[in-house]
Amino acid sequence: MGVVSRSVGNAFRNKVRSGAVVVILAVAIGLALAMLVANQAVGAKVDSLKASVGNNLTVNPAGSRGGLGGGNPLTAADATKAAAVAHVTSVNGTLSVRLANSAATSTTTATPGAGQGADRGGPGGGFGSSGTTSLKSAVDPGVLGQRNNSNSGATGGSTGGSTTTRPAFTIPIQATGVSTSTTATGAAIKVTSGAQLTDFAANSTQALVGTTLATKNSLKVGSTFTVQSRTMTVTGIFDAGDAFDNNGIYLPLAATQTLTSQAGQLSSLNVVVDNIENVSATQAALTASLGATNVDVTAGSSGLQSAISSLGSVQSISLIAFIASLVTAGLIVLLIMIMVVRERRREIGVLKAIGAANRTIGVQFVLEAMVLVVMGTVVGAVVAAFSSNPIVSALVAGNTGSTAAAAGPVQGAGGGGGFGGGFGGGGFTRTRGAFSGASQLIGTISTSVGWQTLVLGAVGILVIAAIGALIPSLLTAKVRPIEVLRGE
Amino acid sequence: MLSVTDVVKTFNSGDRTIKPVNGVSFTLEQGTFAAILGKSGSGKSTLLSLLGALDKASSGDVVVDEVNISKLPDRKLTAYRRDDIGFVFQQYNLIPNLSALENVMLPMEFAGVRHGERSKRAAELLNQVELTEEMHGRKANRLSGGMQQRVAIARALANNPKLILADEPTGNLDDETGELIIALLRQLAHEKKTTILVVTHDHALASQTDRKFRLARGKLTED
Ligand SMILES: Nc1ncnc2c1ncn2[C@@H]1O[C@H](COP(=O)(O)OP(=O)(O)OP(=O)(O)O)[C@@H](O)[C@H]1O
Ligand SMILES: [Mg+2]
Repeated sequence: MGVVSRSVGNAFRNKVRSGAVVVILAVAIGLALAMLVANQAVGAKVDSLKASVGNNLTVNPAGSRGGLGGGNPLTAADATKAAAVAHVTSVNGTLSVRLANSAATSTTTATPGAGQGADRGGPGGGFGSSGTTSLKSAVDPGVLGQRNNSNSGATGGSTGGSTTTRPAFTIPIQATGVSTSTTATGAAIKVTSGAQLTDFAANSTQALVGTTLATKNSLKVGSTFTVQSRTMTVTGIFDAGDAFDNNGIYLPLAATQTLTSQAGQLSSLNVVVDNIENVSATQAALTASLGATNVDVTAGSSGLQSAISSLGSVQSISLIAFIASLVTAGLIVLLIMIMVVRERRREIGVLKAIGAANRTIGVQFVLEAMVLVVMGTVVGAVVAAFSSNPIVSALVAGNTGSTAAAAGPVQGAGGGGGFGGGFGGGGFTRTRGAFSGASQLIGTISTSVGWQTLVLGAVGILVIAAIGALIPSLLTAKVRPIEVLRGE
Repeated sequence: MLSVTDVVKTFNSGDRTIKPVNGVSFTLEQGTFAAILGKSGSGKSTLLSLLGALDKASSGDVVVDEVNISKLPDRKLTAYRRDDIGFVFQQYNLIPNLSALENVMLPMEFAGVRHGERSKRAAELLNQVELTEEMHGRKANRLSGGMQQRVAIARALANNPKLILADEPTGNLDDETGELIIALLRQLAHEKKTTILVVTHDHALASQTDRKFRLARGKLTED
């Protein structure tokens, strides 16, 4: 019989009241845990959004996007200027060109006029001259291809002065000249076999080929094909996740510029900003630095900023709710312990009279409160197991809908599949999947929240409970035994 | 051993002040078995609580073995109550949800006695006050008044105090059991040199003591 067993015994002395307290505590603690889960889930969501959006800005020639529009190409000097703008951590220039199939080109060059269409006006134009390649497009022209190319063909044709029955053509292949292993929008190129580009020199013969294009042309790592007159070797095959990009190739930037006679020219700059908070300020600074008439600076994240900030407010609300439920739990313990101590004033007097130190009495009541809290926490964990899933769904899933809606137009305007993959969050889907199944709760919380947070929360509740028990018991123990012995 | 000088206790009830103890002085040698007699409401319990450091005198000194307990800080008072005093309350004041044995073990727990030794000594003490083994594990609130009184006496003896203060220790006992308790207290006083001060209406008990005091109108006189 020590102070511990005495405290445990006391916790069960008034079973009805203890039961009621445990239930109320369980609700508060369960809510706190659920809010913690929600907070962490939203936090993870925000992080994944930020990560997938990236701190990227895209600089394009004014009035031009990819192969469409017009204007003057960007230059190496623009890249240098952009790099000098505040908050810019890196600038990565790329050059996109469209390469026509050399066999089709030679067929059509036989036809006067149409040759010029393919070569000059080209499909969509691009910047300056395009080139030819031995590769055949994996994408059928279809209605869109016919329309796009017949338009420019017609232009070319009219320039050439005659309209002829055009033979079946293959649509051009997009080649992107890069100087790092990233796409034009700054995402990593995902190589599924072989290796990334390593030789970025002007005379490099390395190339990365998209999966569908590789299949169509029976290319493997080590196979060769031609771009203009140069024989390129496939170092790797990449998967961009969509049919358009997988029908393209990546070449070293310098080689692309040399092969297509566009020395020093760039079609877009990918600018990385030091912090997502500085993106819009840097966007304005870049536009000012490079000249609004020369460039368009677009932020992939502009529309998502609001989504992120609305998720952020959900995050802080859940944090407040977490703290509020903890405080509620603490208040419940405080009030109950005030009641319990009042009820046992006489007993405290007896304990003091027969030699108990104030500390002993304090410890006894703190332990009693701990027993209630631990029972409340266990029941609360079960409550949380059942409530966190719907709460998280309500908070985040609802928000994801609006996020996706907000992101939709951005994705179109931003002109990049950049955050296509990361969006909808693989990580988040996994987290939510794990929520089902109450038995996995502790594991789920500990993995998604982290042990530190969980321990912190538990310590928080226990500290509040300890204070709640200590204050009244010590106040009572401080007085002379006779005063509490005599009662009211 | 015990020296009480000019002790006064004043209570304020409403606009009136009562002085149930109003200038009490006496001394007791170690090993004395003494009794305080007096009418109901004469202040006997009040005086005892002052000696047991359950309450503080309004003025005057209580000196136990050269230590003036009226001037001790709270921490020292705790040690005094635990180690030097065995207090038997008029209302017994057992912890109701603890067993008889656990109640007797409590003072030893506070004194840091090991668990095994505690329960062994507690059982011995309960046997001495003739509480049968089957009652040792029974909760205090399930015991009869007389049983509770005997458990309270056993609890007061737990830490071998040098001064036992007992308020009506035989008040609820039959003659035979009362005799037993009186014999036990006498033996403690005379063989173990424990100083014992009892408050009583019981003539059988009073007649067995070495000294008899009478409390009336706040003053203590020896018979
Ligand atoms: N806390 C208090 N406040 C006011 N008056 C008190 C207080 N405690 C005791 N008294 C009064 O002091 C007087 C002495 O009370 P006490 O309990 O000491 O009497 P007693 O001699 O022990 O009586 P009994 O033999 O009935 O137990 C009584 O008149 C009582 O009303
Ligand atoms: Mg009395």
